[in-house]
Amino acid sequence: MLPSGCSRRLVAELQGALDDCAERQLQLEQSLRVSRRLLRAWEPAGILAPEPPLGPETKEEDPSPACTPSPQDLKELELLTQALEKAVRVRKVISKAGERDKAPSLKSGSFATSPGMTASAPTRAPGQAGSCTSEAKPTRGIHQTTVPAKGHPERRLLSAGNRARVGVEARATRPGPGLRDQHVGPSAAPQALEAFTLKEKGRLLQLPAAFRKAASQNSRLWAQLRSAQPRDSTDAAAAAKTQFLQKMQTAVSFGPTGASGGRGEGRVQGRFQDWHHPSLPPPPNSCIAPTDWTQEYRCLLTLEGLQAVTGQCLHRLQELHAALAEQPVGPCPMERPSRTPPPCGGAADPFWSPQLLLYSSTQELQTLAALRLRVAMLDQQVHLEKVLPSAVGRTPP
Amino acid sequence: MGRRRRLAGAVAEAGAGALPKVITALSQSLPAGPSPEIFRRAKFDRPEAAPALWQLLFRLLSPQSADGTSASPALEAQACWVKAALRSQGYPRLVLAQLPEDGSRGSRELLLALSWLLARGPLPERLLAQAHVQLGDEMPVCECEALASPGPRAPHVEAEGPVDIRCVQWLMGRLRFRWRCLITSQQEQCALLSKIHLYTRGCHSDQRLGHLSVAETEMLRDPEGGQQVRAGARVLAPGWACTPGPGPRSFWNDVRPGRGGADGGRSCAQLCSAFQLLRRLERENVGLEAALEWRRGELVFWRWMDTVLGACPPEAPAAATQPTVLPRIAGRGLGQLELAARELRALQEELCEASERRRAAWAVGGQGRGPQWRSARQALQKAVEQELAALRRAWEQDRGPARPHGPHRLVRREDEAPGGQYLRAAEVIQALRNQEACLEAALHRLQGQCRQELARLAGALPGLIWILPPGR
Repeated sequence: MLPSGCSRRLVAELQGALDDCAERQLQLEQSLRVSRRLLRAWEPAGILAPEPPLGPETKEEDPSPACTPSPQDLKELELLTQALEKAVRVRKVISKAGERDKAPSLKSGSFATSPGMTASAPTRAPGQAGSCTSEAKPTRGIHQTTVPAKGHPERRLLSAGNRARVGVEARATRPGPGLRDQHVGPSAAPQALEAFTLKEKGRLLQLPAAFRKAASQNSRLWAQLRSAQPRDSTDAAAAAKTQFLQKMQTAVSFGPTGASGGRGEGRVQGRFQDWHHPSLPPPPNSCIAPTDWTQEYRCLLTLEGLQAVTGQCLHRLQELHAALAEQPVGPCPMERPSRTPPPCGGAADPFWSPQLLLYSSTQELQTLAALRLRVAMLDQQVHLEKVLPSAVGRTPP
Repeated sequence: MGRRRRLAGAVAEAGAGALPKVITALSQSLPAGPSPEIFRRAKFDRPEAAPALWQLLFRLLSPQSADGTSASPALEAQACWVKAALRSQGYPRLVLAQLPEDGSRGSRELLLALSWLLARGPLPERLLAQAHVQLGDEMPVCECEALASPGPRAPHVEAEGPVDIRCVQWLMGRLRFRWRCLITSQQEQCALLSKIHLYTRGCHSDQRLGHLSVAETEMLRDPEGGQQVRAGARVLAPGWACTPGPGPRSFWNDVRPGRGGADGGRSCAQLCSAFQLLRRLERENVGLEAALEWRRGELVFWRWMDTVLGACPPEAPAAATQPTVLPRIAGRGLGQLELAARELRALQEELCEASERRRAAWAVGGQGRGPQWRSARQALQKAVEQELAALRRAWEQDRGPARPHGPHRLVRREDEAPGGQYLRAAEVIQALRNQEACLEAALHRLQGQCRQELARLAGALPGLIWILPPGR
């Protein structure tokens, strides 16, 4: 049995580490799910979901449910579907940058579970459907033209497609299941099209125009913001700020210890992280055997110098510890407000702006990721190794 | 006409029109920014302006885990918290501490506090970066976020009484197993990611990127469906933030709350469709533009703040009644302090031993002693002093060489990237290998010490046999 007091800390640390791992695993699994789904053949599951209630889009009128579709209508619908699909195929061959939504939209036809669904999604150009509008009793074409152009073409088409389908479905299913059998046939037709896979058709994808615009504006603005960072020495605003801070300080202050206490603690934490992530020169024991007396002397001096520095740090740490020990706990119920300064050169880059990490092969990416995990794991192990001695009752040196 | 007036004109003329605009820009770039009217009232210390400013400060200072969609605490609690936060950051004025916590007064002081925060660092930019909508497959290149994670977690059920060492061994074994699983999953994810990047080559409008990310592809696959989104710039390693995130600070209050986001505590998950994503992106752009406008016109603001400070009544000099304020360190921080102290002591001992050894060797050795070498010795002394001073300076500045920091968007390309700032995987790998080597060395050293200690203990008890566990 281990002494209970110290070993509880060890157990708590281990539990914390296990929870950490579990959380990472969870996130990773979510990402894996998404990625795997993307690499399979795409199913249009999402498209059949009921459309979200969004302002400008709901201006559309729903198809009037007044008339129930006759078998004639449905027949025409079926013909229309086939015609549209053919048009899509032709168009796909012609256009280089095909848009993606027509493929799963078409695919939705093949996965239709109800008769109305065979009226597959409209294609891009309203004009195309417009030519067949006269045939189509469901007012799909009208839907398309009445949708206000918000500059989200795919969005509009997709939602129009949704509404058309939902509308048709609502009408078609009303006659009841009797008609269902008649329309099993047409649903077989669209299955002739291949499923959309990223491998084959990934290059045809294109982001929506509005999205592209917003994204490029975003990166442009970040670049501008980054370059607009004031140069501290010359900028008038920076000077004004410094002056303001000084005035605030001189108008009654707590005195140096208060203000610097925060930063002092930050420095200690930073230094601790320094040792934690060794970026220091290698430990003195690894000094190579000096070949001549100058190196030997130098080694000696360095060691003594480092010893003095360490002594000073220790002294400061003890001061801080002592001062904190007598500090009464604040009344506020919430957690400690300020965060420790990020140990990774936080002062150099006060805010992050988008940066790229280039890799050239799967192997490289895997190496990178594996190394990161390994460093994290080692870090944790080192930390646990430090906690361990206290748990087994070893007196700290 | 207007231009002539502006040219002729008086700073006052320009100032009168520019100030509200600058303040509006500032408000738009901050979350929960109040209207310029509030600012004006605050200058005259009107009580009705106080609550809005308390709330603003709370939003600005609260830790990143505070989700905008979660219920915010009562005004008193917010006020109390803000006071503690400002104190621990070193806010110099006493008046703040004396403000009543019901949030009814002190708008001018709060305005000064806000300006103080703004003067110390690029606050709007930092907040925007935290809430940045992430479209790419982000990968952090450093572990600092993982380490600086919020300290005390929910306390576990503590072990009752003494702990069996076998329990500890079991936990350690579980940990090792979990790490192995993690690494395998990670490798798979990398392979999939790489494929997706490869297959979507040439699709992206941005030439620098060249291919789509998982988030973008997912959006194309399923624009209506909800994507899991995660915290903005604060990505938890190693899970990819492969989905766009609004950040924990949702500026945008009309975001739909998450439908069954299965994420655990630290990252806030919300589901959003492509349309919502677009909306968020657009709003972020608005915030960015506001921040730019703020930067352009902030001089006007600082001049105005001088007048505000002037309008304050002079304070009495600090009495001894106010105790020396030191930051409160949470439990974990205190533990770290102890660990740091212990390490320093260990290091000091090592150094002491090593230097004694060398001193003895030096005394025995033949060369380099004697007056003829004195100047050489002095030169060496000076050189070493300078080196050590440089080292200390590097530490004081919170780390000298700037290491790559923060999440980076993964981009697959074999050739040279056109422009912009980028990092190559090979460099990061090298840096990580160095870190790995250092950590391994540290681990071996610690384990060696542990073994020595055990051997010492074992030696003290005659007739005792130690049977070490197999493996490690």
